[in-house]
Amino acid sequence: MSVDEVGRWPSRVGSRVLRRFVETRELTLLVLIVAIIVGMSLASPVFLSLANFRAIAIGMAPTVIIAVGMTVLLVSGGFDLSVGSVLALASTVTALLLLSGASIPLAILGALALGVIIGLANGIVVTRIGVNPLVATLGSMSIARGIALVLTEGFSLINLPPAFGWAGRAEILGLPFLLWVALALVVVFDLAMRHGSFFRQLYYIGSNEKAARLSGLAVDRVRTLAYMLSGLLAALAGVLLASRLMSGTPTAGNALELQVLAAAVIGGASLRGGEGTVLGAFLGVVFVALINNAMTMLAVSIYWQMIVTGAVLVVAVALDMLVRRGDE
Amino acid sequence: MAAPLLDLSGITKWYGTTRALGDVDFDLRQGEVHALVGENGAGKSTLLAILSGVVAPDKGTINIDGRAVTIDDPSRAQALGISTVFQELSLAGALTVAENVFVGRAPTACGVIRWSELRRRTQQILSPFGIEIDVGRPVDRLPAGTRQLVEIAKALSLDARILLLDEPTSALTSDEVAALFDIITRLKTRGIGIVYVSHHMAEVFRIADRVTVLRDGRRMTTRAVTETSIDDVVRAMVGRNLEIFAAETALVPGPVALAVRGNGAKGKSRHLELEIRFGEVVGLAGLMGSRRSELARSLVGLRQPSGGTAIEIKGRPTRLRGLRDAMARGIAYVPDDRKAEGLFLSMSVTDNFVVTALRRFARLGWIERAAATAAAGRAVERFRIRVPSLAAAAGKLSGGNQQKLMLSKWLASDPAIVVIDEPTKGVDVEAKREIHKEIRRLAAAGKAILLISSDLPELFTISDRIVVMREGQIVGDLPTRLATEESVMALASGIGHKREGEAA
Repeated sequence: MSVDEVGRWPSRVGSRVLRRFVETRELTLLVLIVAIIVGMSLASPVFLSLANFRAIAIGMAPTVIIAVGMTVLLVSGGFDLSVGSVLALASTVTALLLLSGASIPLAILGALALGVIIGLANGIVVTRIGVNPLVATLGSMSIARGIALVLTEGFSLINLPPAFGWAGRAEILGLPFLLWVALALVVVFDLAMRHGSFFRQLYYIGSNEKAARLSGLAVDRVRTLAYMLSGLLAALAGVLLASRLMSGTPTAGNALELQVLAAAVIGGASLRGGEGTVLGAFLGVVFVALINNAMTMLAVSIYWQMIVTGAVLVVAVALDMLVRRGDE
Repeated sequence: MAAPLLDLSGITKWYGTTRALGDVDFDLRQGEVHALVGENGAGKSTLLAILSGVVAPDKGTINIDGRAVTIDDPSRAQALGISTVFQELSLAGALTVAENVFVGRAPTACGVIRWSELRRRTQQILSPFGIEIDVGRPVDRLPAGTRQLVEIAKALSLDARILLLDEPTSALTSDEVAALFDIITRLKTRGIGIVYVSHHMAEVFRIADRVTVLRDGRRMTTRAVTETSIDDVVRAMVGRNLEIFAAETALVPGPVALAVRGNGAKGKSRHLELEIRFGEVVGLAGLMGSRRSELARSLVGLRQPSGGTAIEIKGRPTRLRGLRDAMARGIAYVPDDRKAEGLFLSMSVTDNFVVTALRRFARLGWIERAAATAAAGRAVERFRIRVPSLAAAAGKLSGGNQQKLMLSKWLASDPAIVVIDEPTKGVDVEAKREIHKEIRRLAAAGKAILLISSDLPELFTISDRIVVMREGQIVGDLPTRLATEESVMALASGIGHKREGEAA
């Protein structure tokens, strides 16, 4: 560091700390989350209870799992609208396999494999054929949802073997198993995105695809694998949801893709690619879930909740743009 | 005598600490073609940018018809009757010729476009020049040359009196060039003044009335073409004392590292043979359209070698299946566009450095941050890259430092053969020197280097041999100490059609 820069350092230290804070999205979100918790504890006696937190945790677990895959994809410059439909399809396929007598592990594997295949198809259409990810996954979103409805004629599938409900009910150390799964995925993928040589490639690809190609990265292969991961995690969320509800539900996860995208973007991922962390996306999901829960506690109608979620998304991204513009 | 159509005096422009133009005078008369020539970085583009209102000069005056004007944005330039046809065409490909010509100004009735009127008016503009295009065709279905004409028609529809043409023939076939010159001649008779920027001396002497030579941001000379010669102009463009590294450091080159063999395509006797040995820097010269970039890209697996040619690596014929394949064989390619193709601007210096060697810095799929940072730190020191910190975003570095970072990044994979495209485009003199020294050091360390550059002095400074390309063929291959800038220029632009000093 040159003398000049050392000299300038003290006068800028104040604004740097502030900027650092705004730039570190995770920290901002954490503060907001704490603020909501404190505020709600004062506003509602029921909010600060184990039962309420457990309900929030179980409710958001599938969203968290899907948000992990979505973040990986967003960082690579990709995008997946099909996750909500894949969740529904995986839940119905698991149920169908179970009802047709397949063993529980086989049914789960079948559903997961289906998720991977849909992700592979998305990846190939996007990277090899060059279809815009928005269009490609809009298509597969419709197809996957359609298949789920055709398979079930629109009805939920019930009477699943009781043992299948273990994952949805079980608790470990007082916390729901679903939450443990979601947290484990967050930790593993957050670390992998920071330090793993495979996952680091996604940042290069999302930040400058052409330069990534010319630097010798296998851009298409890596991106296709990111789509497969997104499909796999969406299917996993579907299997866990089926276990919790003890049914295969073809209408599950409607508009979930938008919630997940909103959470990931609030958590710092960019639709242009190259930016975002799994931890940020996780906190984004928590943040949105808490806001929704708070509104429920305050007896705000579910329809209003949609409006608020949308507004929060736009405000978060707008603030981000403003901070960046100030940067230039 | 009436005031000239356009009169610039004392134009000066600085970019940071680099002077792009210093005290330049330039004038244009009615019905005249005034050519503007000079090497890359001489200041031609800056002068055009000033005239078209894209950048503002720091000093100097601009007069049009003897009245002082300020051209502070492109629409002002348009209002003053100045239209620019840039190298990168600015047409909307999916729209028709007519819509492109009248972009934003189509005749309407109650807000609805009057298509037949639009087509008629477009025809009206095109027909006096004998341009025959179906004005209802989408522009991207037209050949490149015709698109250039549409671009010119667009300029004319704005009642331009001053037309700026930037390398208008670089994408044209010789028939198209003839058609363009025909149109330029007609424009002259209508009193339109044309500033014609080109590298091609032969063209300049065919079409221009006067020629102004810029070098290092200064005007060297302005002469009527009848009173000067290509040799004089080229000398004015390049004349300078060069610091030549090659001669003093040249070692006996090693075995052939990379070679292109074979006579090229389709009956024509296309000559395309090139050898690069370990320990030497081969400079590849050629004008725009000489296809030297295509040759370079085929050497690194980014495109198929052109018909009839084959690539040999270390003496063995090889078909490269792509860049990754080339890298696996020890070839690195440093592209010319550091922002679009080279760097990850939003990512840190360290991240940029390790990208070509992610696997080397990883153990069990986990990147060893400490090792990566240490290696990046060593590279920063060795290449004297000035960075605020290793964690700073690459986009925050200056052009020269970005260029050095880019070079260091490709060397991180420790290649034996390096193909470098325009390593000093838009960097300051000091950074340029350091990059040159680094390239020489690589050669001294036994690497084989192919250097592509539009900057002739640069080629002379660091190459052991200079290979000249024109129209997809190699037309000269000479040791640097036997070459002169004049001879390279002559070979590259095809004046004299002589083939000098073929390598034995």
